[in-house]
Amino acid sequence: MTSTPMPAPGAAKPVATAVQAPEDEGLQTGPLVTPPPATAAGVPMIAIDAISKWYGSFQVLTDCTTQIAKGEVVVVCGPSGSGKSTLIKCVNALEPFQSGQITVDGTRVKDKATNLPKLRSRVGMVFQHFELFPHLSIIENLTLAQRKVLGRSSDDAKTRGRDLLARVGLSAHSEKYPGQLSGGQQQRVAIARALAMNPVVMLFDEPTSALDPEMVGEVLDVMVELARDGMTMMVVTHEMGFARKVADRVIFMDKGEIVEDAKKDDFFGKPRSERAQHFLSKILQH
Amino acid sequence: MNYNWNWGIYFEPSPEGVGTYADMLLSGLQWTVATALSSWVIAFFLGSLIGVMRTLPSKAAQAFGTAYVELFRNIPLLVQMFLWYFVVPELLPESLGTRLKQLPNAPFVTAVVCLGLFTASRVAEQVRAGIQALPRGQGMAGTALGLTVAQTYRHVLLPNAYRIILPPLTSEFLNNLKNTSVALTIGLLELTARARAMQEFSFQVFEAFTAATILYVLINVVVIVLATWLERTVAVPGTR
Repeated sequence: MTSTPMPAPGAAKPVATAVQAPEDEGLQTGPLVTPPPATAAGVPMIAIDAISKWYGSFQVLTDCTTQIAKGEVVVVCGPSGSGKSTLIKCVNALEPFQSGQITVDGTRVKDKATNLPKLRSRVGMVFQHFELFPHLSIIENLTLAQRKVLGRSSDDAKTRGRDLLARVGLSAHSEKYPGQLSGGQQQRVAIARALAMNPVVMLFDEPTSALDPEMVGEVLDVMVELARDGMTMMVVTHEMGFARKVADRVIFMDKGEIVEDAKKDDFFGKPRSERAQHFLSKILQH
Repeated sequence: MNYNWNWGIYFEPSPEGVGTYADMLLSGLQWTVATALSSWVIAFFLGSLIGVMRTLPSKAAQAFGTAYVELFRNIPLLVQMFLWYFVVPELLPESLGTRLKQLPNAPFVTAVVCLGLFTASRVAEQVRAGIQALPRGQGMAGTALGLTVAQTYRHVLLPNAYRIILPPLTSEFLNNLKNTSVALTIGLLELTARARAMQEFSFQVFEAFTAATILYVLINVVVIVLATWLERTVAVPGTR
């Protein structure tokens, strides 16, 4: 099992100097991730198989099944309380589930033999509230897990971190602290922090829901670019514009069930379920 | 009031044969500081451990932490002091009990252990509160990056929790310092014990306890200044 290859230390990298960067230098071009090597078609990156989960006697997920292929971008939407955040947190075992199985890149999530920290280090996750570590500078946020989990040297981790900061347009802020950045900037740092681990798949849990409206765009831009670079992505969001632009499939959930799992065009063109139609009519009318 | 004030009493020789009453009080102060610092080391590390245990997912760890806290904070400190000094040595095997009783600094060692374990229960509650005050997503973010539980506590949760609880932790440190006076009951010659001795030898009760009061206040002011400096030093840029 090898993760997405990272440029060998010492290889030519875009030089990100803080000098040229005035405030917020905007997005630079260039791939955010190395495109994944082609693998045998049909082997899913994430296979969610009949997941059910209860909180006490309350069932939050009912028999959810879906698959996400390598390089695929899947948007998960649905009304609040429908279980979409819970489902995405099951993928990297942040939430336990009682029945069913999830397989990520061939590794079973619910298996005593699975080294969960190792699995999680290969699954990037971005949270609604960013969850940057407030006591660490931006560059330290990006290097902590690289050093502690992947065992990279401080220099290698910093190089990788600066590289990614440049790609999300935040080179000038590497020595600042999270509290000194805007929400949109913090979320871009959070994406860079996840990418620093060379994940094979990225999970986004409502990444723009806590942002002021004018900052949504800058975060979505980074995500669109990531999708176009071939990253496998599972995105819980209500940003239907993003779904239209880059999603391959849309999953609609309601009351803990996957109600609809369709190609993007089918979903927006002619959703089959009444509940999805109802939901879409509500969020698209404005 | 028919009282014979004598503010020069501090510089008169004490009946112990060596030094003045001032020397006697200062030696008491030294024992107070030594006891406070030593017991704080136990209180801080053990308290942190117990506090962390109360926030772990493991039910067994939680139960142990809860039992510890409830046991040590619900028995009066004075009773605990007597238990450690008079009762515990009798419960141990005879040879070990005798060795304990014959320790050269038995009151000091006992006071350090007793205060350390007592204050640990209070530190534990603050550490727990500090950890629980953090957004749940912080732990999740550490976990999602592949950090182990221990790494998440060490690098993410505790550094932030300690920053939150620094003010109440300062109060706890001051409490611990003042609680050392309880150890006079088991014969530790700390500041309060020395002030009492001075009063009994010289009958200058006001002078003796005025000195003790001022010394306690002074040392606490020093602690507060240090704590304020520490708070400023570790403050995270960009937060209030």
